[in-house]
Parts: sequence; structure tokens; C-alpha cells
Amino acid sequence: MGTKRGPMEDGAHGPESSRRRRDEGPIHDVGPHEDQDIEEDYSDKLNVPKKAVMDINYRKHDFVKDSVSTIFGDHDYTWLPLKADHESRPLWITEDGHIILEGFSPIAEKAIDFLITIAEPVSRPSHIHEYKLTPYSLYAAVSVGLETEDIIEVLSRLSKVPVPESILELIRDCTLSYGKVKLVLKHNRYFVESSHPEMLQTLLRDNVIREARLVSEDDASAGSGLMTGKAPNAKDLTIPGIKKDPQDPNKPAAPGAAGVTGDEEIFAVVGLDRDDELESDDVHSFEISASSVEIVKKRCNEMDYPMLEEYDFRNDTLNPDLDIDLKPITVIRPYQEKSLSKMFGNGRARSGIIVLPCGAGKTLVGITAACTVKKSTLVLCTSSVSVLQWKQQFLLWCNIKPHQIAMFTSDQKEKFLGAAGIVISTYSMVANTRNRSHDSQKMMNFLKSREWGFLLLDEVHVVPANMFRKVLTTIAAHAKLGLTATLVREDEKIDDLNFLIGPKLYEANWMDLASRGHIANVQCAEVWCPMTPAFYREYLRESSRKRTLLYVMNPNKFQACQYLIRYHEERGDKIIVFSDNVYALVAYARKLEKPFIYGETSQQERVRILQNFQHNPKINTIFLSKVGDTSIDLPEATCLIQVSSHYGSRRQEAQRLGRILRAKRRNDEGFNAFFYSLVSKDTQEMYYSTKRQQFLIDQGYAFKVITNLDGMDQEQDLVYSTQAEQMSLLQTVLLAQESAADLNADVAPDEDDLTGNTTRRSGGGGGSVLSHAGGSSVAGSSSGAKRSVGGLKSLSGGDQMAYVEYNKPVNLKDKGKDKADHHPLFKKQYNKK
Amino acid sequence: MVKAVKGVVIECDTSVKQIILGLNEKSHFIIEDLDDTHVFVDAGCIDQLREDIDQILNENTYKVEDPK
Repeated sequence: MGTKRGPMEDGAHGPESSRRRRDEGPIHDVGPHEDQDIEEDYSDKLNVPKKAVMDINYRKHDFVKDSVSTIFGDHDYTWLPLKADHESRPLWITEDGHIILEGFSPIAEKAIDFLITIAEPVSRPSHIHEYKLTPYSLYAAVSVGLETEDIIEVLSRLSKVPVPESILELIRDCTLSYGKVKLVLKHNRYFVESSHPEMLQTLLRDNVIREARLVSEDDASAGSGLMTGKAPNAKDLTIPGIKKDPQDPNKPAAPGAAGVTGDEEIFAVVGLDRDDELESDDVHSFEISASSVEIVKKRCNEMDYPMLEEYDFRNDTLNPDLDIDLKPITVIRPYQEKSLSKMFGNGRARSGIIVLPCGAGKTLVGITAACTVKKSTLVLCTSSVSVLQWKQQFLLWCNIKPHQIAMFTSDQKEKFLGAAGIVISTYSMVANTRNRSHDSQKMMNFLKSREWGFLLLDEVHVVPANMFRKVLTTIAAHAKLGLTATLVREDEKIDDLNFLIGPKLYEANWMDLASRGHIANVQCAEVWCPMTPAFYREYLRESSRKRTLLYVMNPNKFQACQYLIRYHEERGDKIIVFSDNVYALVAYARKLEKPFIYGETSQQERVRILQNFQHNPKINTIFLSKVGDTSIDLPEATCLIQVSSHYGSRRQEAQRLGRILRAKRRNDEGFNAFFYSLVSKDTQEMYYSTKRQQFLIDQGYAFKVITNLDGMDQEQDLVYSTQAEQMSLLQTVLLAQESAADLNADVAPDEDDLTGNTTRRSGGGGGSVLSHAGGSSVAGSSSGAKRSVGGLKSLSGGDQMAYVEYNKPVNLKDKGKDKADHHPLFKKQYNKK
Repeated sequence: MVKAVKGVVIECDTSVKQIILGLNEKSHFIIEDLDDTHVFVDAGCIDQLREDIDQILNENTYKVEDPK
């Protein structure tokens, strides 16, 4: 169930309300402002199939509402008729496409496999799962090879209630035409291909497509015939890093096998992991001219036959090859292998999206795909730090030479040497139209002028709509792969963008991943700390910005933090304490005597602290500010404590979680990583507590609330235990400036950054750098005035210049003057010598 | 004559007591402040007090609304 923000009270929450507006859901990090950088609206340039935006119509039902119906409103489904044997079936389907699955049912696992293929997961805690059927998810299902009637049959077999009419309509409409037609690029020629010749005939009847068709003179089947050929297969394609496995263990049981239970028959019909090799051998195609590709794609979308794009990279001779391969030491995990096999299933590169949770190794999947395609690749990331990390990962995992990789960010504009190579850049660099420096423009021309074999898009779900469209229309790429951690966007704003890259190829079952030890099994907890009376009184009196400071500096929080640190250090965990607020960070770290890193820490000191943290057994806790999110390479830890929670993005929190917490090899069962968020009771922090809870549960994290830390009362020498200490702390906090409450002042804004970069906005909530910096420009200088010392020559910019006299002969005229022409009165002076 | 005022003892936790003290500055209903968790207030103002406290506490509660 999606959630929305609570009602906005304007009175006491002035500046915060604008900050909250940006929080449009757990996924949406960047507001509409970023879109405004791009002047044109590209939404009409890229057509999407009509059905993609269709809404499921539902009928009104008269049924007897009982006393609790009003709470559920439209979602009261008690009127749905149950089938006779509903207890053995695992799922419910509602009229608007929501599917609720019982996770404890015996056939749940197979049902989950099926549902992931045809629907989008919304929420997957352990006992009850929720999925949603969307046109996009059906598109993805069909592209993997599922047939309409099969889907309907399996769905009705699994469902406790008869499948509603509207759903049947939706499935039939969407799947009838999706995924049956492919646009293939091979031998540098474009072919429209399908295994159903009648579909091609339908397309050819359309004028636009017929005109685009290329018929070669020596083609025997000239005129109305279609070329027939063998279906492509993957027999001789080796994806680097994967051991060739002749037996596909996931193939369904042969129909004739004895003892197939009723359950397995259901799935044998569907044949989820059937590769295209099992389909009919013949495919039919006709060629179209290269210049009319866009027109044909658009026309097909309009006719509701959206084309899948495939790139036959093995037979592409026009684009130069990039000779790279994975290093032999690289090991690919089973789920990574599975996702790649979906992409390269039939020997060609399919465009699409792969969904893997944070920390599961998306980068390696992208690198392996690039090593398989072996053509020039363009990688787009969200920030300049990720660019650096991608480059390092490329160098680490594959044998590419450093001169073949180039980075394109605001600081660096390199090109690669040689005909083919890899360029890593950010979305902002490629999509921004204004203020390009000369070097950037040259780079952009370089990017636009060539054909890219492979386009890798990192963190697809973060990118705002228009920026995305701009990127995709500017860059000419044959195969596109999107990597993301979550595909569901609650605001549904960019649903059509999913059609721009391709269908979802694979989504990892992250609970599976956690249980196999690939990602950490995290226990999330919220610790509620009561406010001390004195602090609370001041909290009630103060305005909203000072309030932030008050509830963060709550002495009970200090104590809770100290207690948790002690407890986990005894267990041998490595702990990172996060605070978005710098003032609090410094206060906490100093009081608890732990090392800390924030924006102003020098590079040397950072390196020293991080190294000590990783290797020195005596240093087990460090405090980090927001710099940990973007600017430094995060160390691994097993315990994360968050002292001041951020108003905005839940997804950012989850991402932080994913990056930091790595599973430690422990023998004991259960959780091996912990996440605590300390919240002061009865304050504004509680407001987001529920929301965070919901989001983390949807992601599948185990969540609990701790109202009282056991054993804290018996602890000796906790800080701020006496009234006097607390009062002096209160006084210090009250004297602190309002600006200390800012959450974002720590990291200098970087024009490349896409995620969580709220300092860039001029109206960025109450905490903007702008308000107390005295009107500095949006481009982001952090202080208003700059002072420098220098000679007049350098201050006026003349350091590089020299004074040269021109037209010497004219001036030399004066040299002859001393001989004659002087006034008699002065003649004496000149002739004195 | 003895003038008697009807009063009510309120037992609450420390945070709510601070809220009550804050509200008192406007409407002056506290007769006696007993200790950290108890307050003696004027009986007539209880309903108003309840509403005010509810309102303040609700500011901090996140309401889960229906999607769409």
C-alpha cells in the first residue's frame, strides 16, 4: 500500500513545509526543479504505445458495507466471491491490478517467480506480498516469452477469486501486440523481425512503414515476400565469467514425465525460463533503411506494436571492436549470471533494465555486459564520485587499459585514444543545455558524433523525466542497459520512460540474496528517546529551525548513543554513526571522544581516520557527516547509528544502508548488521518515523521500535547524567546560531551531483545555504565575499600579458627632436651635455 | 466564607507536562504544580486542555492516508 505525506500544517512548520514538498515518496529524490534546467520539453518527441497509459476501469459494486468499510474506502474487497478451494490457492487479485500473495503458502515460491515476471513488486515482507499489474510489467513478461492465454490461465489457477473482467481485458490488450516485433541491427542493417509473419504483414500494410522498407535488387522474394531465416540462438556466445552449463536446471519438467504434481503442471505450461531456442525456428523479417528507423519505431508505437530492440553485436562490423575481457579472478554470483543470461539469452544484446538491490553488485553486472558486447560504451552515473568509482571498478575487474577509459565530468574532460573505448560521465553533464564551456562542448560533440555500441545507465530510477528523455535522444546507442535498485515509482511520473530503455529483464529476489549471504541481513530499529523536561520546554517555545538543534542534542539521545556504541563494541562490531547535522556531529563526537569526519576535515586526516577504522582494533567507531554519502569511499561496517534523521529521502537512507552494511562472516544465525535510528519522542522527528517504517518494511527490512533500552539504567557514567550537565548543554544549544541547524551546509554543492543535492536550489527549504550567505549566487560559492592579495597587475588580470609597443617607427620620430625645434629658452637645457 | 475552587489532578509524563506548562502561559489554569508528573488544574478548563494537547501531539503524528 503506498503512503502519502500527512496533512501539511503551515503554522509552526513554515520553512519545513517547502522542504517536505520535495519528499514525494521514497523514490523521488530530485524535485521538479532539476527538470527546469532543460528548456525544451521532450515529451512529444518520444512516443509511447497508447496502452501504456491506460487506466484500469472499474465498476462500482453495490455490496453491504459494514462498520469498518469507511476506513478502507475503495479497498474494501470483502465482496469478492471466493472459489470453493480457495484455501489451497495463494493469491487474491483485485480489480485495479493489485495482487496479494500469501507468502506462507506451499506453492508460494513458484508463485513468486511467476508474479515477478508479470507484475511489479510493491511490498515484500515475509508473510504477505503485494504486487501490481501494470502495462509495463506485462510488456516485460511478453518480452521474455510468455503468451497471453498462458498468463491468464496460470493467474486464474493461482487465484482465490475469479479473475476480474477488467484484468482480463488489460492482459489481453497489453500482451496481444507487445514484444512480438523486434528491431534488429545486424551487419549494419536494420531489420524488423518477428516469428509471426502475419504481424509483419499487418505492419507492412501501413503506408509509413512500407515506404521505409528497403528491398534489395537481388532479393528473390522481392515485392510482398518476407525474408525467412533461422532464429538466433546463444549456442556459441560465451558471456565472460560464467561457466558454460549445458544443463539448464530451471527448465520445466518434460510433459511426459511421470509423477508431475498438479502444481508443477501449472508452471510447466508457462515455461518461465525457456529461452528463445525452444520457440519455432523460423523468424521472418524485412529490412528498413537506416535513416527511417526512428519513423518506423514511432509508427509502431502508435499502432500499438512497440518494438523490442536487439543488437546483434557479434555481426556488427561497422563499429570498431573494443577488446576487453574480465580478469580471470573475477567471480560472478549466481543472480548476476541469471540477469546477464536474460539479457544475452538469444545471442543478441537486448535492451532493458536489471533490478538489483543496493550493494548487490550492479557495477559488476554492467562491466560484464560491456565486456560481452565489446563495443564502445558510454556509462552514465548520478554524480562525479560515482564516475570515479566506476572507472576504478572497470580497471579492477577487467583488463582494459587506462588510456581506453575516459571520464567526462565538470573537472575532467578526457577522450580515449584509439577507435573504441569507454566514456564515463554523468546525466547532468550530458543533458544540461546551458552554460557549456568550450571544452565541454567539444566533448559533447565527440559524444554525439559517434555511434555507441552500448549505453549503461546507472540508477535509472533517480533521473528526472525530461533529463532522461534528453539523454536518450542525444546519444545514439544500439543496446541500452539500465541498472537500478528499485523500479516502482510511487508517483508513476516516468512510467513511459520505461518504454524508452526496454522491458525489465531481471529483478533479484533480495530476500534470497540476503539468505545466501550476498547482502547483509539487516535489523532496523528505531530507538525512541524521551526529551528531558527542560529541553522539551524550550523545544515548545522555539521556532522550527532551532527546534532541530534541540531535539538532536537531547541528552537522552546522547546516552542512548553511548550505550549502543558500548554494547556493539563489546560484540566486536565496527560502528559508523551518521549525523546529517554538523553541529550535532561535532558535539557528539567530542563528548563521546570518537574520531569524526565532516566537510572541513582535511584529506590527510580523513585517510588516516578511515585507515585506522578499518585496520586498528582499538578504533571501532567513527562519526560521519553527509560527506560519507558522496565524497568518500565508504568503509564497511556492521552497525549503523543515525543520530539526526534527514527530512527528505527515505530512499537515500536505504541506499546508505545498502552501501555500508556488508555481511560479516558470522557463524551465528540471524541478523548480522544493525541499523539504529535515534528519534526524540514527541517531537517532529516522530513525524517521519512512521513513514520510514513503512518504506523499510516495503523494502523487506525487518523493523522494530525500541522504546526503552534494556540495561541502560544500570549503566555507569553515561554522559549528561546530572541535571547540571544537562542545563549547561541546554544553554550552549540555545546560544548556538540558527545556521547550525542546517542539514546541508556540509558538502559543497557539485554541479554534477544528482542525488540529494538540495543545496543547489535557491529555494531549498529552510536550510538553504543562501539565506545566511548574503545572496551568493546559485552556482554555489559558499561565502559572499572573497579576499585576495596581489599586485595591481595580477588583480586586473594582467599576469599573462606583457606590454608590447607597436608602431615603433612612428614613435621614433620624436628621437630626432633634440637636434632642432626646441624653443630658444630651452635650447640650453638640451645642448648642455 | 471559604471560597472553594474545583480542581482536577492530572497525571502525565514529563513531555506532556511541559506542554501543559506552555499552554498555561496563555490561559492560566494551573492551580498548583505538584511534581514532575502531576499537575493540579482548574476543572473548567479540562476539555479545552484536552483538545489543545491533542492538537499539539497530532502535529507529530504521521497519518497514513489512502493512496490515490
